[in-house]
Amino acid sequence: MSEAPRPRVAALALAVGLVLADSSIVVLALPQIYRELDTSVAGVTWVLVSFNLVMALAAVPAALVARRVGPGRAAAVGLAIFAGAGLACAASETLSTLIAARCVQAIGGAAAVTAVLELLPAAVGSERRATALWASAGATGAALGPAVGGLLTQLVSWQSIFLIQVPLALAAAVPILAVARHEAATGVLSTELRRTGRPHLSANLALAMVSAAIAAALFLLVLLLIEGWRLSPIGAAIVVSAMPLSALAGGRLGRLVPSARARAAAGAILVSGGLGGLALLPRAEVALTVPPQAMVGIGLALVLSALTETALAGRAPQAIHGGWTISARHAGVVIGLLALTPIFTHDIAQQRHDAIDAGTAVILDSPVAPLAKLGLAQRIASRLEEERGKVPTIGPAFEPLPSDPGERAEVVQLREELQDQLNRGATHAFSPSFGLAALLGLLALIPIGLARRVEL
Amino acid sequence: MNAQLRAQALIAAAIVAAVALPGIYLAAGGSSYAPAKTQDPCRHRPWGNPEGLEQIAERFSLSALDGAACQLGVSRETLAQALATQEGRERFTKRYGITDAELARAVRAGLLRAVDDAEAAGALNPLLAAPLRETLKSIPLDRAIELIDNAETLLDDAQSFLGPAQGLLEQLLP
Repeated sequence: MSEAPRPRVAALALAVGLVLADSSIVVLALPQIYRELDTSVAGVTWVLVSFNLVMALAAVPAALVARRVGPGRAAAVGLAIFAGAGLACAASETLSTLIAARCVQAIGGAAAVTAVLELLPAAVGSERRATALWASAGATGAALGPAVGGLLTQLVSWQSIFLIQVPLALAAAVPILAVARHEAATGVLSTELRRTGRPHLSANLALAMVSAAIAAALFLLVLLLIEGWRLSPIGAAIVVSAMPLSALAGGRLGRLVPSARARAAAGAILVSGGLGGLALLPRAEVALTVPPQAMVGIGLALVLSALTETALAGRAPQAIHGGWTISARHAGVVIGLLALTPIFTHDIAQQRHDAIDAGTAVILDSPVAPLAKLGLAQRIASRLEEERGKVPTIGPAFEPLPSDPGERAEVVQLREELQDQLNRGATHAFSPSFGLAALLGLLALIPIGLARRVEL
Repeated sequence: MNAQLRAQALIAAAIVAAVALPGIYLAAGGSSYAPAKTQDPCRHRPWGNPEGLEQIAERFSLSALDGAACQLGVSRETLAQALATQEGRERFTKRYGITDAELARAVRAGLLRAVDDAEAAGALNPLLAAPLRETLKSIPLDRAIELIDNAETLLDDAQSFLGPAQGLLEQLLP
């Protein structure tokens, strides 16, 4: 097979990365969307869930359509739909319109990403290279998504996340249009249709389980950083960039080990270990999230690419089996989000209550002058009322600080102790969910171990 | 290194890392990083040796909060937040299904426990304690909450409640 020009290969990889980044790109924008659209944590989760759910449902049918109408046409039209729906997302003023636009975006994305897999072998010269490029472009997009989304949210707005996708999607579609025109001129596709084999059950099941764990890791970590530890979106973006950076290292590491089974198993173990670390954070310190994130990042690069390659190896047509992997990954994301969201929203409400009680105990037992203490308790109670359902910022309740140096020192110490209790509550609230996600990652070892054909 | 050895080394390294990191975090206190538990309000808290009216008033308020919270089956801290604002109070009574009359009874019981505690700690003369109890038994809810918020007014302005004991307060307080 001859290779296509580099711009076309780059456009195809861009299309895959762009679409798969979209499953996680809004993670860091969720707190801002949550406030701007005046919804609940469970409600805003649907901005993520809807996209992933529709991707899971539409991937295989979209692949079938791509086979029928031609992958070039399907990819170009898919990217156009993806871009148009992105515009609608940016223009959304209510949660329901945003969710509806996200569903349309997912349909376009599913068509583009599965069709690209059909176009890649001709573009890169071999099916195996095509699979590897498609898998790594997807893993890179998914890993980079949150950091890019966080930067855009902080520097511009959450709407900019969707607006920037429009020119990128169109830029990816332009080189693909040449293929679509060729398909229209030759009309070769209907003759290429053939029966599809069964999907690789073990690899796709493992993909779903690992994706659930990874989605939970990203979603929960971002919520912990922004809503729990009160980091800005850009601050959180910098922190979670540890994951894609480690994923790059994981990709390089994976090239040294030919065994897909070993890469998949090691990846799943690392993802679980990282999530276990996040479940057992000993303090509310950003630096302590870096080692677990590094493990999750390396793990996800190893396991996602190994399982995707395994699911596609020797199977035809690629678009259909690629559709199954997309379906499995996004179904896993949906399961992860839907299963863990109620657990952690319950835990966060309970821990918030416990933390506020513990903080109140600190105030009541503090050596601060009783009258100052009572005024303070009332200001803190008012802040709690203003920020119902969220972890409050208690700093403003302590302003102005007393002018007397002794009293000032006591109030500052009190503020630190109170903040410590709130941090403890916020961090501890996420522990059971991180722990469950770690367990899901470990359970993925069962289908990985059971896979009859995992070596490429 | 051949391919099989590399595969084994990768899995071994992953297992070591996946066990070591949570293990280190666990050893550093990861499992106990949670908010402090609040104390049972029905358990007596020692008063220590409060000095002056301000500190006695503070201990009195805390004892009253403990007593009322014990009666209502909530923590002292939850009740303190509820009584800090009118909205907090309404939310609290709605959440726990408590009527204003029940809240009033609990707050009065709390104030009576505070008098008992103050007397037991030697911070309140028994001669003053008896009429204070009588006064507190029928005090309206809003006034009772005000007294929990700032017991100093009760102890400082006891004259207005005590009638015959007027003028004796400062002498009777140790």
